[in-house]
Amino acid sequence: MSLAVQPGSAEVPDVELLHAVARGDEGALARLYDAYRVILFGLLVRILNSREEAEDILQDVFIQVWRRAKDFDEKRGRPFTWLVTLTRSRAIDRLRLLSARQRLVTGAAQEQTEVVSDALTDTIRGSQKEIVRRALAELPEEQRHTLVLAYFEGLTQSEIAAKLGAPLGTVKTRMRSGMIKLRTLLGSQLENFG
Amino acid sequence: MTHDDYRELLAAHALTALDAENTRALNTHLESCADCRSEMNDWQDAVALLALDPNPVEPSPNVRERILASARAEGDAGRPANDRAVAIASSSESPGESKVLAFELERPPRNIWTSLGALGAMAATLAFVALIISLIVLWQQNRATQKELARLSTETRQARAQLDHERVVVELLTSPDAHMAKLSGTNAAPGAHAMLAYDKNGHAMLLAKGLPAAPKGMAYQLWYIKDNKKMPGKMFVPDAAGNGILEDQIPPVARDQAVFAITLEPESGVQVPTGSIYLLSAS
Repeated sequence: MSLAVQPGSAEVPDVELLHAVARGDEGALARLYDAYRVILFGLLVRILNSREEAEDILQDVFIQVWRRAKDFDEKRGRPFTWLVTLTRSRAIDRLRLLSARQRLVTGAAQEQTEVVSDALTDTIRGSQKEIVRRALAELPEEQRHTLVLAYFEGLTQSEIAAKLGAPLGTVKTRMRSGMIKLRTLLGSQLENFG
Repeated sequence: MTHDDYRELLAAHALTALDAENTRALNTHLESCADCRSEMNDWQDAVALLALDPNPVEPSPNVRERILASARAEGDAGRPANDRAVAIASSSESPGESKVLAFELERPPRNIWTSLGALGAMAATLAFVALIISLIVLWQQNRATQKELARLSTETRQARAQLDHERVVVELLTSPDAHMAKLSGTNAAPGAHAMLAYDKNGHAMLLAKGLPAAPKGMAYQLWYIKDNKKMPGKMFVPDAAGNGILEDQIPPVARDQAVFAITLEPESGVQVPTGSIYLLSAS
């Protein structure tokens, strides 16, 4: 992986890569893919718990990037946020499409995925990743659990309340408090990342 | 709800955790409130960082190949002509083409127009040339707009068809007696996979991914196999990305304990499989 395309530290900024993709530059699409594939694929595997489904969505996401890069507006958000939002949105849609039975079967099987090497992980924003993990770990358990259920399982506040057997108001408070604390803990990263 | 009430919802909205009613109300508010839109962007930036929490995982190399092949296939057909022109003009690999454009626009007038006596004719000719250039520009813009409209229309049709198919799949999956079978790629198509969902009435929907392009005159055919009896299903041709969708009716005898397969056959279809098996369900 080239240092030039790593998120947030790019010699060619991600915004320019997206503009190049919008002009039909396949090389720029390949560089964006190379820069973000392991992060986005890790997210997809975590949400879908299936390499097969995750590869399917990863392919769809980058085809959407190819088609919709011209819609990206840097005034409205960062490239990293745009890519992650698109990826997670597709993953949650797929998750909801899958039947409860299939999810149960897949969950029971807990597909094993090969995590990339530590060296590569370090190269890919290892320190930022560690900061995100530490920030999550600093949240009170009930707040962290609420955020994880929403982000990685795509559950709404009502669904979380039903799943946990907690009052809806409690779930709303936990979610907002957790998000406020998380944003505070990640403050410097928000300034630095892509 | 007041402005402050909407602000309270922003963090949960960034997590897409609001219920449908609140989502609709907040989206309507966001259209008219720049402050909330700005704060929403901040929340989305924070939420996006959660993507760094899972362990990074390496996808198969053929995903990259499939993405770039799809982009290449769509590249010329799917993009408006003016987008391609910008790409060519800005590309450092094709300076020749941009020079040609510049030369043609800056071509100097011929010597005949330097004659003082021909000033009137020159003015008239310049006006005529300007008119012709304007017409060409307008014609090109019109052509580009028509292409863009055609592209958007095609995308809309495809999106609507995809939605219809997904709606059918969801209905199938959520019906009380839903069945689902996974088909895996054989050696003929190791990167391919498919899902066949069907209900108790045999109404079935197949979603296939990663299939090789079908040669001219050929198409993929679905087969229902029960007790070694092979029953033909419908045909389909995958798109440039290797995705195929097929709606079919499963014969009553094949709705229980059947094996499903996809073979490559002449596009008119056959009654007995003749080609290689590309996808196969577990027996």
